[in-house]
Amino acid sequence: MASLRSTSRLFAAASRPLFRPAAFARSYATVEATQTVEPSPSENPNMKTFKVYRWNPDTPTEKPTMQSYQLDLNKTGPMMLDALIRIKNELDPTLTFRRSCREGICGSCAMNIDGVNTLACLCRIPTQANSESRIYPLPHTYVVKDLVPDLTLFYKQYKSIKPYLQRDTPTEDGLEYRQSPEDRKKLDGLYECILCACCSTSCPSYWWNSEEYLGPAILLQSYRWLADSRDERTAERKAALDNSMSVYRCHTILNCTRTCPKGLNPGRAIAETKKMLAA
Amino acid sequence: MASFARPSLLRQSLAISRSPLRQNVGVSQAVAFHASARKQILPPLPQRIDGNMNDPVPVPSPKPTEGSYHWTFERAVCVGLIPLSVAPFAAGSLNPVMDAVLCTLLVAHSHIGFEAAIVDYFRPQRVPKFYSFCQWLLRAFTLTTAVGLYEFETNDVGVTEALRRIWNA
Amino acid sequence: MFSQKVAQQSLRRLAVQQPNLMQSMVMRASPAAIALGNVQKRSVTSSTEKEDPTQILARQRLNRPIAPHLSIYKPQIGWIGSSLHRITGVALSGTLYLGAAAYLVAPTLGWHLESASMVAGMAALPIAAKVLLKSTLALPFTYHCMNGIRHLTWDLGRGLTNPAIIKSGWTVVGLSVTSAIALAFL
Repeated sequence: MASLRSTSRLFAAASRPLFRPAAFARSYATVEATQTVEPSPSENPNMKTFKVYRWNPDTPTEKPTMQSYQLDLNKTGPMMLDALIRIKNELDPTLTFRRSCREGICGSCAMNIDGVNTLACLCRIPTQANSESRIYPLPHTYVVKDLVPDLTLFYKQYKSIKPYLQRDTPTEDGLEYRQSPEDRKKLDGLYECILCACCSTSCPSYWWNSEEYLGPAILLQSYRWLADSRDERTAERKAALDNSMSVYRCHTILNCTRTCPKGLNPGRAIAETKKMLAA
Repeated sequence: MASFARPSLLRQSLAISRSPLRQNVGVSQAVAFHASARKQILPPLPQRIDGNMNDPVPVPSPKPTEGSYHWTFERAVCVGLIPLSVAPFAAGSLNPVMDAVLCTLLVAHSHIGFEAAIVDYFRPQRVPKFYSFCQWLLRAFTLTTAVGLYEFETNDVGVTEALRRIWNA
Repeated sequence: MFSQKVAQQSLRRLAVQQPNLMQSMVMRASPAAIALGNVQKRSVTSSTEKEDPTQILARQRLNRPIAPHLSIYKPQIGWIGSSLHRITGVALSGTLYLGAAAYLVAPTLGWHLESASMVAGMAALPIAAKVLLKSTLALPFTYHCMNGIRHLTWDLGRGLTNPAIIKSGWTVVGLSVTSAIALAFL
């Protein structure tokens, strides 16, 4: 096996300058998949196959592959993240993914599970054992490794909307900036966003135009500051959005609202933003 | 580039032949997305990040004519099209003014729609030359369409009437 | 290991309290002391003189694949309906554009696109072909119109909840198919 491996690596190295234009390595595609089965299933095992997207930056010429893992659901926790952690612990330590809080508050484990973007820690494993689950990184992101996407641009876009209170005039009594219960209510459904990027990477418009279009998550955050009664830079915030790309690449496809794992409504926030800009 | 000589394919065949030798192997199978290297959907450029990761992305200068005014105008055209596309057939009119307005709105609506599609799929940052080619082609076609519809309105029976006759033929 | 740490700590404390003394100590430190690790020294593990370290990540980025998207996303009424909206829109506008352009060049090319000859051509078709032709023309139109109205209500900020989106999506499909069939048999 070792000899075979090294031959293939040699082959890849030799063929690199000849056959590989820069764009080639960025293809999606995939080829071989091996299946790894749980070593010691329980008495009456309830086996399920997980197909996981794999790509290793150390071998950039290799194409991404789908690797199968079989787990006994009787020995696995109820959530997808439990399955991934078990795969990493017991089957394949090279599997790479982000996770932190395991309770849907950090947004680290955002990924595409069975075709829908969600948080692995909030997604139950479908219990029909015969069906297989497919796990991909967030769609149309640049893959750092396996299930880890590069969200640098996403965070840079978040920074560009100035996500903080901008205000020059102090309150009359010098105490904190207060707002009425009605004004506070406008922020419900906005402040809960954890920036997991599920909605942005589910949006076909964001797939094609991520560099200029801000995407649903950032626009929801932007609306959170537009809707805040305490903020005094509403006009500037609106001007920053008033161009062909930042907001108006949104064509109300509403994948964002459909996929949000926190049950928020980025689609409505963008519709309200458009109404504010039009007025 | 000879596509059959792609290293991926060779590696694929290599991988299939070598995979039974791997450890922990139950079944080996070849899986491929239907969008493989040969059939990429709107391939993006290689990843480039401008500035360091703490810099915000640049904020574009405001252009309401491409932003909010454009959006409002587009909605106004859409709203206007609803009655105009129903009324002539319901009322059975041969009113040339209404026909002219309908044609103008249709051309405007089509132009805006095509433009949106061009920017969505062939934005200037990705394929600048193809983008400007598409834009000029669209402008030429819109003009041709406008002239063609004008000819049809003046020399023939008009769009709605012609449609009705064809439909009832 | 432990003793080394203690020595380092005391050296650091000394450096804070008496920087001058510390400097002279380092200057006078023997090679043996340096080798034993008594003087804190940050060694560079690999030579970065030849390449700019900020370029390593930039180069790695160029190799990164794009995660699969359109081909793996679950088909849902929302985005499938939306893509149909665009496809029907392009098809309808394309028909209008090509038709108008063809009418303009028809006299020079000897085509007959006047309404009279088109009506005659339509009348000559068998009834099944008529219905088929009419429904293929009507379905994109009815779908685009109905979905367009749905879009306009969304632009007013109405009907933007998940159940409403799904329900209106299927309603549009049903209404457009029935109205297209009705138009085809008109």
